[in-house]
Amino acid sequence: MKTITVKYGVDQITKQVEDDFTFGDLQDSDQFKAALGFGDNTKALVDGIEQNRETVIPAGTTVRIETAANTKA
Amino acid sequence: MEKTEIILQSDGSFVERLVSERTLNVGQSVLDTLTENLTRPIRNVFNIPGWGLVHANVGLHDTLWSVPIDRIPLHARFRLINQVLVPMFASSTDIEMPLVWKVPAGVKVVFVVNTKQEDDFVSVEGNWLFACDADKRGYRLPLPNLHDDCRICTGQFEGDQENAFECVKASLEQFGKSKWNADLMRTSEQSQKFFRFQPTKETFETLPIQGEWTALCNKVSTALYERVVV
Repeated sequence: MKTITVKYGVDQITKQVEDDFTFGDLQDSDQFKAALGFGDNTKALVDGIEQNRETVIPAGTTVRIETAANTKA
Repeated sequence: MEKTEIILQSDGSFVERLVSERTLNVGQSVLDTLTENLTRPIRNVFNIPGWGLVHANVGLHDTLWSVPIDRIPLHARFRLINQVLVPMFASSTDIEMPLVWKVPAGVKVVFVVNTKQEDDFVSVEGNWLFACDADKRGYRLPLPNLHDDCRICTGQFEGDQENAFECVKASLEQFGKSKWNADLMRTSEQSQKFFRFQPTKETFETLPIQGEWTALCNKVSTALYERVVV
């Protein structure tokens, strides 16, 4: 297990997740969605840099979730 | 300036360290690079007649203008359901009316304009509409014509203007006269709980939102929203 901190707007949560937990897992997680209130169309950033969904989140990382723009109108 | 330090190490040996300092003449380009992502909020920059004071968030490449608004012009189709008039954005048969929804206490609504200075004019890069709670959490209103990041699908209007004031004014004029249609529409149920009107003899009175307003919206967090001045 590892601990990560996730921020969405002014809200944040620190939680333990499995060692192989990826940014995509986070974006799809119903637990994090319910706790922070984000939806399906998001992007995950670390220090302002957008991360790939497949990348494993390093322990102790603070991830900022942002609402993504629509891919089409 | 140069200084010498003599260090006694844990193994008993002595080390001499020479430290040299000089003031660097940092060029403007270095400063610009270091401050590229820094922005500065400025309140009450100008007033748009009929709308109110406009705040700015100035960046190196653009300026974000925030206009806290007290109403949303809802030029759309409406239907009377149980004596309450509610929007029917997807309808083509219900009555079309230019109603004005008054923002209730407890909800802040901010109209946002992003402008960019070109060589001899200022261009509108986009319009956004955010709702905010008391803690400045951002929300997407249950309206059509709004992207997930709260960017407004404005339709065509003249976005190149002489100055930023005219850009904000033109954006608000477009916002005020545009019709709301079903583009980017989600469920009409949330809209109809949020935007409700009571027909009276002379006008249409805005009714309170049915339920907790934040539950009818989608929470939003974007880099652009962080720059909004409420």
